[in-house]
Amino acid sequence: MILVIGGLSSGKRDYVKSEYGYSADDISFDIFSDKPVLYDLQELIFTDADSERFFPELLKKKVVICSDISCGIVPVDRAEREKREAVGRLCIRLASAAERVVRIQCGIPQIIKG
Amino acid sequence: MLTLVIGGGASGKSEYAEELFSGLPGVKYYIATMMPYGEDGLARIEKHRQARRDRGFRTVEHYTAMDTLVLPERGAVLLECLGNLTANELFSVPATEKEAESAVLRGIEALIKQADDMVVVTNDVFSGGGNYDDETLKYIRVLGSVNRRLSERFDRVIEVVCGIPVILKG
Repeated sequence: MILVIGGLSSGKRDYVKSEYGYSADDISFDIFSDKPVLYDLQELIFTDADSERFFPELLKKKVVICSDISCGIVPVDRAEREKREAVGRLCIRLASAAERVVRIQCGIPQIIKG
Repeated sequence: MLTLVIGGGASGKSEYAEELFSGLPGVKYYIATMMPYGEDGLARIEKHRQARRDRGFRTVEHYTAMDTLVLPERGAVLLECLGNLTANELFSVPATEKEAESAVLRGIEALIKQADDMVVVTNDVFSGGGNYDDETLKYIRVLGSVNRRLSERFDRVIEVVCGIPVILKG
């Protein structure tokens, strides 16, 4: 599994298409779909329980794309705060299990693992 | 060696910073700056305390005016974190932006004099846009400025992304 992380509109999907040869049709928002690329992981995770449930499914994907939501001010809203923490912790776990981790900034990939 | 570790929320920066001390001989100080506040805050403090319990750190709780902190003996210092320290200097004192920045920097310099090695953990809070109230924007400006000063002053600057270190300097 390859983890691709980056800010909003940083070029994550374009990178995955051009680098790994996937098309829009290979990309899904549904964690349980059999499409090889999962997009918008951050929209699926609200608690650590979500992470536990989804983790094995995520490892079956070829590519997991997640928007980096960690670099704003700590949210005042408790649910938002917990979501942000849960997404962060899950990404650490995924990064540790991933064969490669790519961070995208301004469309430029930086391979930070693998 | 002076090392600045930066990362977003739940990026793994604290764990990484603590790992930097694993091979170091001598006394290791963990300077905790988070004022215990609310259930959430206490839970976070306990989580961090748990994580470093067996790594041989002596915990020193100090929330403002680091230049008044005298360590019992020289050693390696982990300051966690600049985000809290800056908020404390700015809001709990309270102070102007300039005063808060000077207080933070003065405190760090005072610690450097007592430390053989020092690691400072700071927060990346700079990519959530600017749609915040005035006090929060003030905080962002002070922390950003402190981060820039320290990255000039320090030997190494390491960003942590999903638990992975990315070297920005050194």
